[in-house]
Amino acid sequence: MTQITIRNAERSYGALKVLRDVSLDIADQEFAVLLGPSGCGKSTLLSAIAGLDDLQSGEILFDGQNVAGVEPADRDIGMVFQSYALYPSMRVRDNLSFGLETQKLPKADIRKRVEWAADLLQITPLLDRKPSALSGGQRQRVAIGRALVREASLFLFDEPLSNLDAKLRTEMRVEIKALHQRLGATFIYVTHDQVEAMTLATRIAVINGGVIEQFATPEEIYNRPASLFVAGFIGAPPMNLIPAVVRSDAGQAYAQLADGALTIPGLTAADGTEIVVGIRPEDLALCEEGEAADLTGKVVVAELLGADTLVWIEVAGQRIAVRLAPEDADRLDPVVRLRATADRISVFDAASTKRLELTR
Amino acid sequence: MTAARSARYRSPRHRQSIVRAQHFGLYLFLFTAALFFSIPLLIMISTSLKTAAEVRAGSVFALPVEPGFAAWTRAWGEACIGRTCEGISAGLWNSVIILIPSTVLSVGLAALNGYALSLWNVPRAGAILAALLLGAFIPYQVMIYPLVRMASTVGIYGSLPGIVAVHVIFGIPVLTLIFCNFYKGLPPELIKAARVDGAGFFRIFRRIVLPMSGNIIIVALILSVTGVWNDYLLSLIFAGRDNLPMTVQLASLVGTRIGVPEYNVNMAATLITALPPLLLYLLSGKYFVRGVTAGAIKG
Ligand SMILES: Nc1ncnc2c1ncn2[C@@H]1O[C@H](COP(=O)(O)OP(=O)(O)OP(=O)(O)O)[C@@H](O)[C@H]1O
Ligand SMILES: [Mg+2]
Repeated sequence: MTQITIRNAERSYGALKVLRDVSLDIADQEFAVLLGPSGCGKSTLLSAIAGLDDLQSGEILFDGQNVAGVEPADRDIGMVFQSYALYPSMRVRDNLSFGLETQKLPKADIRKRVEWAADLLQITPLLDRKPSALSGGQRQRVAIGRALVREASLFLFDEPLSNLDAKLRTEMRVEIKALHQRLGATFIYVTHDQVEAMTLATRIAVINGGVIEQFATPEEIYNRPASLFVAGFIGAPPMNLIPAVVRSDAGQAYAQLADGALTIPGLTAADGTEIVVGIRPEDLALCEEGEAADLTGKVVVAELLGADTLVWIEVAGQRIAVRLAPEDADRLDPVVRLRATADRISVFDAASTKRLELTR
Repeated sequence: MTAARSARYRSPRHRQSIVRAQHFGLYLFLFTAALFFSIPLLIMISTSLKTAAEVRAGSVFALPVEPGFAAWTRAWGEACIGRTCEGISAGLWNSVIILIPSTVLSVGLAALNGYALSLWNVPRAGAILAALLLGAFIPYQVMIYPLVRMASTVGIYGSLPGIVAVHVIFGIPVLTLIFCNFYKGLPPELIKAARVDGAGFFRIFRRIVLPMSGNIIIVALILSVTGVWNDYLLSLIFAGRDNLPMTVQLASLVGTRIGVPEYNVNMAATLITALPPLLLYLLSGKYFVRGVTAGAIKG
């Protein structure tokens, strides 16, 4: 049970600024996911929260208490390192129990916890092996186990499932979610897997170049991305981003696209403002007969994903993804006319890359 | 044109024979070089196996006619050093008594130093390392006089603790650098993980770092053992009359000017003195190569 506040955290290696004015408020029992491209500072932030790396400026508070100078061991955390960092000279069993022995827990308790974790992570048969005799995925599970046995109030997981096969990863994801609910601990979890982020997180922090772009619930992040970066990073494929200019016609503002115009209800930006219109692939649909089209383009390729089909369409020199039901995708004309769900369109200011709020 | 082409595209068999010739040349060279460097050793061995009469009569290069270990037994237990005729064996014990605490202390302290300097945020670690480097490469003769004064001030001059302290002082810089380099190669996350697990400086050293240091400890031990065992000057100055090690005894034996010089005995004594470090090298070679961090990190 830990509530974490990070205020204006800054960290740089020489001239390279890795964390820039990072402020985050992570609630007690929250499952916060850090998401962002490689090298954006996720591990660095995690290290700082663990107390393994000092910040150059800013502060970190646990339950309102500044933890500067508090040893990692005294922060009551369990941590999974991105590189696992298993103790190579110890058997798996000793890797798991090492932290408990330092805590001077009774032998029976240690045994019970190690067995519990080993069982949960399906590594019981590996307990007497050395880490060097394990596969990557097995090492990763040992690393998770070493964090879990501590029964800490804050867990820091750095890409804990990255090396597992798809089936095991799904299983582990469910286990971790269940654990989070059962343990009542706060989780901070780094991942590159958007499905993991979406399913596990109570809130997602999208980081880019050491800056927090948005910290919000998965729904919010998905439906109302705060910036062009978030819009282009979240979703597979991400949001279609179409450059446009605001024009107004008899007091009614609309987006002038390279070819065609798009009426966006609630758009209030000044005439001539350069904007970017964001539309999710599933918010585009084929026009009915006689309906006015928002976008018209040539079909480039169709990819069957299983439940639905992703059709790539070239509109004014730009590829746009449209998610269609497979039976609709099967009988497409070479040129298709599309209609966007008006109230699900996002609009960004091209200059500041920030989201423009629409008055609805 | 055709000649050039045939030179470039040689038949596989032709190429094989060239490779073989190159190998032959290489081995011939290595063999000659090895022979050249081992001549003094071979002469020592052969001379030590001769009788005194044979040494006086024949050339140094001649092989022993009736090889025997008489000179070795004399060198070990009967040869006269100064006025005592107990051979070189008395010095062996002294050497061991000096060797064990000196190597254990210097290797142990150097490992701890290297661990602290490379894996923990010691303030000014860079400056300390630079100072150590300086210490490792200044000729130690320069520091003997100040050390003599310091040792006599503390009251350990001419005693076992005195010589051990001096060996430790001279051993630590280079050994610390060796450990430092080795520990810098360990993944820093290991220490971080152990800190999260609540282990402190010494516990991490004992439970995590030391078990991974097997090979480097052996390398350091070899360096330290040979250094201490082969030392002559420091022992002569700091050890005191009762603790003179084998090397000093050997020098006295070889330098004794009473009667006819017994070259065969001298050679045998020298070989006996040189044997321990030699054996150590032969027995521990395999530890130089094995990897240690297998399994700690990804990939
Ligand atoms: N010890 C270091 N010295 C110099 N630069 C470093 C150091 N550690 C990290 N960096 C730099 O800091 C930046 C952020 O690193 P960090 O490990 O936090 O990235 P990350 O977001 O975890 O990336 P990934 O998803 O690839 O793990 C990177 O550009 C990296 O090169
Ligand atoms: Mg990382």
